[in-house]
Amino acid sequence: MPDDDLADEASQLTIDGDGNNEINFTAKRLAQEARQTLSFGGGSGRGIRDVTEEFAAAAKQLQPGQLVKDEYFTLFEAVGALEIMDPKMDSGYVLPGDSLEPDFDVCKGLPAGEVLWIMDELLRLTVVWHDGYPLSQTIFTSLHVDRLLSPDNRAPYGFSYGDTTLRVMTTEERLVHLVLRAYCIALVKSCALVLHTIQSQNFYEEEDFVTHLFGRELLPEIGADDAVKLIDEAVSVVEVAGVDEAMRAALFERLQFARTYLSLLVDESTDWTTLTATRLLAETHNLAQALPKAFSDKVQRQLATSTPPRPMIAISWDEALQRWMSMCADIIEAERLTDFDVCQSPHGLQRAIWAFAYREPQPNTFARAYLQTLLFASEQIAEGMAFFDLMLADIRDLVLAGDVLADPHSFLIEIPADPRHKCSRVVEAFMDKVFDEYMNIYRMICQNRCRIRRTFSQSIVILDRLETEAMRADAELSSITPGTILPNEGGSKEVGLNPLTSWVKYYKLQIMGWSIQLGFETGIYLPHELCMMYWYLMVFAQRKRKLLEHVGRFLVARRKHLASSRSASQDVEAAASREWLVVLHRQADFTESLSCALWQLCELLTTLEIVKPPKRDHAREQLLYDVRMKSYLGIAHEPIPTLEEYKSAQQSIPSIDETCEGINRAIANAKSCLVVLKKTTPQQGKYVGTEEQWRREIKQLETTCVAVAVQTSQLRRVADKHGKQSAGREHGLKGLVEVSIPSPGSRYHGWWVVPQIKERKA
Amino acid sequence: MSGNSKHAATDGPTETEPPPKFTGELNIRYISYGSEKESPYLPAIRQLISKDLSEPYSIYVYRYFLYQWGDLCFMALDAHNNLLGVIVCKLEPHRHGPMRGYIAMLATRSEYRGRRIATMLVRLAVDKMIEEDADEIALETEVTNIPSLRIYENLGFLRTKRLHRYYLNGSTAFRLLLYLKPGIPYKPTFPPEFPAESGGGQGQGWMDEVLVERQVVRTGVEDVYGERFDVAGR
Ligand SMILES: CC(C)(COP(=O)(O)OP(=O)(O)OC[C@H]1O[C@@H](n2cnc3c(N)ncnc32)[C@H](O)[C@@H]1OP(=O)(O)O)[C@@H](O)C(=O)NCCC(=O)NCCS
Repeated sequence: MPDDDLADEASQLTIDGDGNNEINFTAKRLAQEARQTLSFGGGSGRGIRDVTEEFAAAAKQLQPGQLVKDEYFTLFEAVGALEIMDPKMDSGYVLPGDSLEPDFDVCKGLPAGEVLWIMDELLRLTVVWHDGYPLSQTIFTSLHVDRLLSPDNRAPYGFSYGDTTLRVMTTEERLVHLVLRAYCIALVKSCALVLHTIQSQNFYEEEDFVTHLFGRELLPEIGADDAVKLIDEAVSVVEVAGVDEAMRAALFERLQFARTYLSLLVDESTDWTTLTATRLLAETHNLAQALPKAFSDKVQRQLATSTPPRPMIAISWDEALQRWMSMCADIIEAERLTDFDVCQSPHGLQRAIWAFAYREPQPNTFARAYLQTLLFASEQIAEGMAFFDLMLADIRDLVLAGDVLADPHSFLIEIPADPRHKCSRVVEAFMDKVFDEYMNIYRMICQNRCRIRRTFSQSIVILDRLETEAMRADAELSSITPGTILPNEGGSKEVGLNPLTSWVKYYKLQIMGWSIQLGFETGIYLPHELCMMYWYLMVFAQRKRKLLEHVGRFLVARRKHLASSRSASQDVEAAASREWLVVLHRQADFTESLSCALWQLCELLTTLEIVKPPKRDHAREQLLYDVRMKSYLGIAHEPIPTLEEYKSAQQSIPSIDETCEGINRAIANAKSCLVVLKKTTPQQGKYVGTEEQWRREIKQLETTCVAVAVQTSQLRRVADKHGKQSAGREHGLKGLVEVSIPSPGSRYHGWWVVPQIKERKA
Repeated sequence: MSGNSKHAATDGPTETEPPPKFTGELNIRYISYGSEKESPYLPAIRQLISKDLSEPYSIYVYRYFLYQWGDLCFMALDAHNNLLGVIVCKLEPHRHGPMRGYIAMLATRSEYRGRRIATMLVRLAVDKMIEEDADEIALETEVTNIPSLRIYENLGFLRTKRLHRYYLNGSTAFRLLLYLKPGIPYKPTFPPEFPAESGGGQGQGWMDEVLVERQVVRTGVEDVYGERFDVAGR
């Protein structure tokens, strides 16, 4: 890296803000040191000073073993430090008998079979790179690529720096300098485009993908179109090359492949199905002749990296092709799941993104970035549907169908005195505040599973704060045009709809529920914690159900009004919303019922001492609760039940038999919800485009219900056998029953953990 | 940082066969590393820890911890002063908020595993941290490291996060957390500061952390990806 860049780089480390933290300090100091070093090297005070004596004198002041730490020496400096001559840390260290540079001449001509092998190896490494391994360990280990990217190389980037064009080349030389080089260049340009796509979207460096270039540039002086031209030239070289027919076809395929890949990355409108024809590559791969010498880890010595190579998974050629195909399939699916019809409904679109996230195997970082690009690259989610419209449609679908408040026309009225104008400004201002967090929901589902859970957990308090904003906006709205007032659920007092508050609350509760379920999926909870988590999931679902009932009552009232005023389009909208609310209500009811069943089952297993918490000397109940419920403790509007409240909910169920009855009732209710959901049309349930996933999920949930019933009767059978079914729970089944908790991969549905109960053999 | 190798639960990556378990009588002493000067045990500590790492730490990483928190480091020694197990920790305010103890390294020599040595070391460290007024203790360990999860969960740690591909070898970790005082979730913390976005910043910026800090994560020493705060540019 040129010196100036180093200074720049170092000064970028300095941090904005007022910087009193450790990182900030260190960064500033590093920058300063870099500047000093540079001015020393380039400025007037240049010179060499022998410091041996000073050093020896300073060292004498220390006792043997005494350490001195300057106050700016931080952990990351410690971690960044290398020990010279330690072969595991010092990448420049050459083991005895080894050489510094790889021993391979990239300019040498090669037989077609070896060129073919290098091409296939590069494709294999591309797949590994897509899988999250750094370029330094994948594509950059190709000595041919390494030569192209070498800092001394310049456009037009040849393998040999000298002029080769004048010389007549042999066939083997042509295969290397014209064919393989074109392939390498196209591949490198493809990498640049992939990186661009990934880096312009959300992803997590290192855990999803490594974007580091290790001080190299990806052929900045030539463009993708130049690379395509080179491929075309290479094709004509192969046409006349003296190789047999099968080999020629194989080389054509590779070149064609590289060309297609590159052009797909340049132009989003083209069709990725063309790239799934990798079966052909598979068939001709046996013509390849291995030339492992053309790749070497030693290139890492020249790369800007201070960390040692990460151990890499070895994947076979077949597996690489498999992964490649599934990436292409993911991209094709991303296109389908974001087509015009799907994007018309916010909930339909959310469903589609979830469906994408849960494809098996999980889509890789590029595919997820590709989906994000489809969604967010422009200002609109689909033709004629701006993000703002998407959000407004969401509000309308859920809480304000057929109401002028959320009617797009209201937003166009410019007469200041018109209440619709005034209300629209209030709604708009509210939407501005919620916008980021709302769009975030779509984005978060495109992240890796662990991150989805974590960002959702953090979203809860943000949404809670936005609920305050919504309450303010609702109050303003009703001061402009007082809305309908209805008796509350019990009829004890009058309430308003508070549409915006209800809408935010809906999402808050939704995400609270999701965060628990993702906790199940990511294996966060210990077996004895399931009981509490199911109880809270039940409470959240119940709150959501009640909220939907509240919204539903106002919708019914509005429809009566609309029917009398005969506004057909609004009435249609309200009718659709009615159907939608029924679906949501059933879903909430389902979650509530199934978690109620599982809570009771887990609670029973706990009181029977079949599931036991570890002894835990340092554990205090309230503190464990604080750790576990941390993400929910910041909620100000309708705080979650306290530990005391949770505990007092537990003692209500007396005997094993009665508990089992309770579980079965809850399961029966859950099943009846599924029956209704099964009959729901894609339009009613807003699952256009994800019909298959909808059906599959219902199937999984049905099986889960059956499994709960089976496990319950299993427990009852054992209790029966030992004459304990009607006994109080204090007469435990300790020692008679064994429980195992299925791992996420072996459940009927990753979001539902059903304990497996077995009678213990004596 | 935990056993970075896939074989952490069984043995170091360099050995294929675990050495036979030591079966004789043992007279184990537990002592604190202390704080005066660099201990003669440092090379042994380093050797023991690095056996289970896929990549080595420089001597400075050990010194960083031991120099500042030598009292939170405990060693298990046999009658001949051979090192059988070690725990290395730190204790400092977390994001200007709670006083957070952090267990950075823990290892027992493979021939001596399964004798509760690590359990004892963790207890000693936790007790010492409590004595030094810690509010909470955190650590990360591989999701497949059953013995390690056992030790901590037996003490009252809970899993709070799953960290996707946390370690250099690509394996995933759990963050474990133990609160020692009431009200910790209500203590404010402050987001770490980040540099102005480099390179045009058209990325959503959720990952443009300080390069060096990233390196810290790479080696799994400390969490910097923990919270949404870490996400610059928002
Ligand atoms: C993790 C490690 C420190 C445990 O050391 P140890 O001295 O054997 O631990 P203990 O004897 O205290 O045993 C711990 C628990 O794990 C259990 N355990 C031990 N080996 C086990 C195994 N292979 N499978 C299942 N459980 C096991 C023990 O039964 C004990 O649980 P219990 O108290 O409920 O009976 C040791 O395996 C090690 O050095 N591993 C490599 C480094 C590492 O992974 N460090 C932890 C990162 S923070």
